[in-house]
Amino acid sequence: MTSKIINMAERLKDAEDRLLESMFRSEPIADAGFSRRVVARIRRRIWLRRLALPVAMIVGGAVAIKPASELALAATKLLTVIPLGMFDVPAAWMPQMQTVILGAMLLVVGMLGMRMIED
Amino acid sequence: MKAEDQYLVALAVGSQDTTAFGELIRRHQSQIRNFLRKLTGDFSAADDLAQDCFLHAWDKLQTFSGRGSFIGWLLKVAYTTFLQAKRKSKRYAEVLDEAGHVAQIESRSYTQDSVEASDLDKLLAVLTQEERAIMIMSYACGLSHREIGEATGLPVGTVKSVIFRGKEKIRTSFDIKDHQHG
Repeated sequence: MTSKIINMAERLKDAEDRLLESMFRSEPIADAGFSRRVVARIRRRIWLRRLALPVAMIVGGAVAIKPASELALAATKLLTVIPLGMFDVPAAWMPQMQTVILGAMLLVVGMLGMRMIED
Repeated sequence: MKAEDQYLVALAVGSQDTTAFGELIRRHQSQIRNFLRKLTGDFSAADDLAQDCFLHAWDKLQTFSGRGSFIGWLLKVAYTTFLQAKRKSKRYAEVLDEAGHVAQIESRSYTQDSVEASDLDKLLAVLTQEERAIMIMSYACGLSHREIGEATGLPVGTVKSVIFRGKEKIRTSFDIKDHQHG
C-alpha cells in the first residue's frame, strides 16, 4: 500500500518536472558503427584470453627447457649411483621410453585441445 | 518479434554470444551515450566511456539478476565507469571542475536549437556531480527513484532529497517560474 502511494506520488509530476524533462530530453544518437566497434573489441579480448594460456605455456616451456634438461641430466646421473638391484623389475613390464614421451605429448596436446573446445 | 533483453542477456552469458550482446548495445547505446554526454559535457570522452561501459558490462553480465530493467543496470555500470575514470584520469576532473561543465557548443551536434543546449549546460553547471547524475537519470533517462537508488547505491529517500535539492538550486539560479505557467 505504502509503495503504491510512493509510486503514485512519483508519477504525479508538476509543471516544473515537465519543464525539466523537456530540457533534459535529447534526440536519440545514431549507432553509426558504435555497437560494431564495441563487439569487435570484445571479440578481440576473447581471442586474446584464449591465446594467453597456450602462449604463456610455450614461453614458459622455452624459458624452462634449459634448467629442466639440466635437472633431468642430474637425475639420470643420480640413478647411476643407486644400486642396480634396487629396482628389480622385469624389463618387459616397463614401456619403451619413446612410448612414454609420445604418450605425454599426446596428453598435453589433448588437454590443450579440450581447453580450446571448452572455451 | 523483438527478443526480450533478459533473453539476449541469457544468450550472451550462456554461450558467450557476442551477436546477442551486440543487439543489446544497439538497443541501449543511445541512452548510455546521452547520459554520459550530459554527465561529462564532452562528447568524445563520453563516447570513450560508453565503450568502456559496454566492455565492463560484458565482463559483469552474469551479475545482472534480471529483477530490474536492463537499462537501469547498464546506467549503474555507466555511472561506475564514469566515477572510476574520473578518479584515474585528471582529464575528466579538469573537464568537469575547471570548465564547470561549460558547453562546448561548437563541437556539439544537437538537433535542437543551440539556445536549448546552452540552457541545459548552464542548468547542469549549478549542480554537483552527484546531483547532475541523479537529475539526468531521472529527467533524461526516465528512471524511477528506486531504479536510481539501485544505480547509484543510495537509499530512495536520499535520491528524493538530492532531486529536491537539485530542483531548488535550479529554481534559485534560474527564473523558471515564468516558464511554468507559460
